[in-house]
Amino acid sequence: MSAIFTVDPHSGVPIYLQLIAVVKRSVALGVLAPGEQLPTVKQLATTLTVNPNTVARSYRELERDGVIETSPGRGSFVRANGSGSTANKAVSDVAAAAIDGAVREAKSIGLARADVAQLIDQVLDRWYPASDGREAS
Amino acid sequence: MTDHYAIAVSGLTKRYGDTTALDDFSINVPKGSIFGVLGTNGAGKTTAFKCMLNLARADSGTTLFEGAPLTPALFDRMTYVHERPALYGEPRVIDHLEWTRRTYARYDAQRAAKLLDLFGLAPKKRVKNLSKGQQSALALTLAFVTRPDLLILDEPASGLDPVNQRNVLDLLIGEAAGGATIVFSSHQIGQVERAADRVAILHRGKKMLDGEVDLLKADEKVVEATFENDAPSANGLATDPSVRRIVRAGRLLRAFVRGNSDDVTRHIAALEPKSLRVLDQNLEDIFLNAVAASDGDVAAAAANLEG
Repeated sequence: MSAIFTVDPHSGVPIYLQLIAVVKRSVALGVLAPGEQLPTVKQLATTLTVNPNTVARSYRELERDGVIETSPGRGSFVRANGSGSTANKAVSDVAAAAIDGAVREAKSIGLARADVAQLIDQVLDRWYPASDGREAS
Repeated sequence: MTDHYAIAVSGLTKRYGDTTALDDFSINVPKGSIFGVLGTNGAGKTTAFKCMLNLARADSGTTLFEGAPLTPALFDRMTYVHERPALYGEPRVIDHLEWTRRTYARYDAQRAAKLLDLFGLAPKKRVKNLSKGQQSALALTLAFVTRPDLLILDEPASGLDPVNQRNVLDLLIGEAAGGATIVFSSHQIGQVERAADRVAILHRGKKMLDGEVDLLKADEKVVEATFENDAPSANGLATDPSVRRIVRAGRLLRAFVRGNSDDVTRHIAALEPKSLRVLDQNLEDIFLNAVAASDGDVAAAAANLEG
């Protein structure tokens, strides 16, 4: 279970934000099912060799975001009720962050807005061909 | 209101002759946290620990443990491991454990067996026949078997091989998850970055920076721009309080920012750079920046490193 979580402690991205992202992504992809139990803070901290307070902070924020729920004494679980919306929210969070990163990168190398829009159109055409309205994954 | 801190250090200063080994050192360590004290060799880490524990007399400053000065009542619940542990050479590993058992009410025999196994320490081996790394492992074993609430560890992983370094970090994490408070020093940034939730950076006896590792990472950014020609002087930036340092190298301009980087990014964008991006900083970057901000020669070295 803990094996699906990975973080890079030496990245400039705070570890708790990395953990939040990986849990949201796992929920979005269905790797973590609604109602499924997450490792305890201690288990996850020990498995990843990261600070327990850092793991606890991720769990608190995930709970606040409605992705997981924690009941004292029982542990933390992926939220079962409204799981569809939880997963969808998680999916869109992950997708939004990825798109934001890509556009930021394009801007940082000096591409004009129109050029970026054209690139995005090309990507959209590739993944959302006109004949097929369904989402590719 | 310092009793919710396991340790509250305030204004510790220690001079040896003309040298100020520790200069107005203050940290607050919340209960249950792992606090990393990071610094180059000779930065004052060991002096800080000795002064906190009254093993060296500070010229000024105070250290409170759970809101009160250090008293013998606390000795049963705390442990200090020196970077060069004082162990007897002739006696065996098991003899050291036996003395610890007799001294500490909270001695945990099961745990002792587990730790000997973890570190591969032979109980009947004489200490003088252990390698330096194994001696460090024994000192840590003696510390952990007493199930302390408060651990002060000076370079706990030094001299250990990578596997045992990781074992030590896992031990620290397990203890903290169980509610213990840990202060440890290291010159290995990677260890602190993994295990610590809080860090203080010491340089030449002075605290450069302290705070939560994740919040420091969220806070410290580098705005990096490249220009068609030589980077402009960007004088206006120097007065921005969030800008800690500006590095110009040819067509490249880097502004080291603490706090919100939006204003600085806008300011630099107005200079019409060819490219502009905001970079995250890991603890090593933050460490180098903190040191560089304090003295110019290191600033040059760090700038070279980054370039």
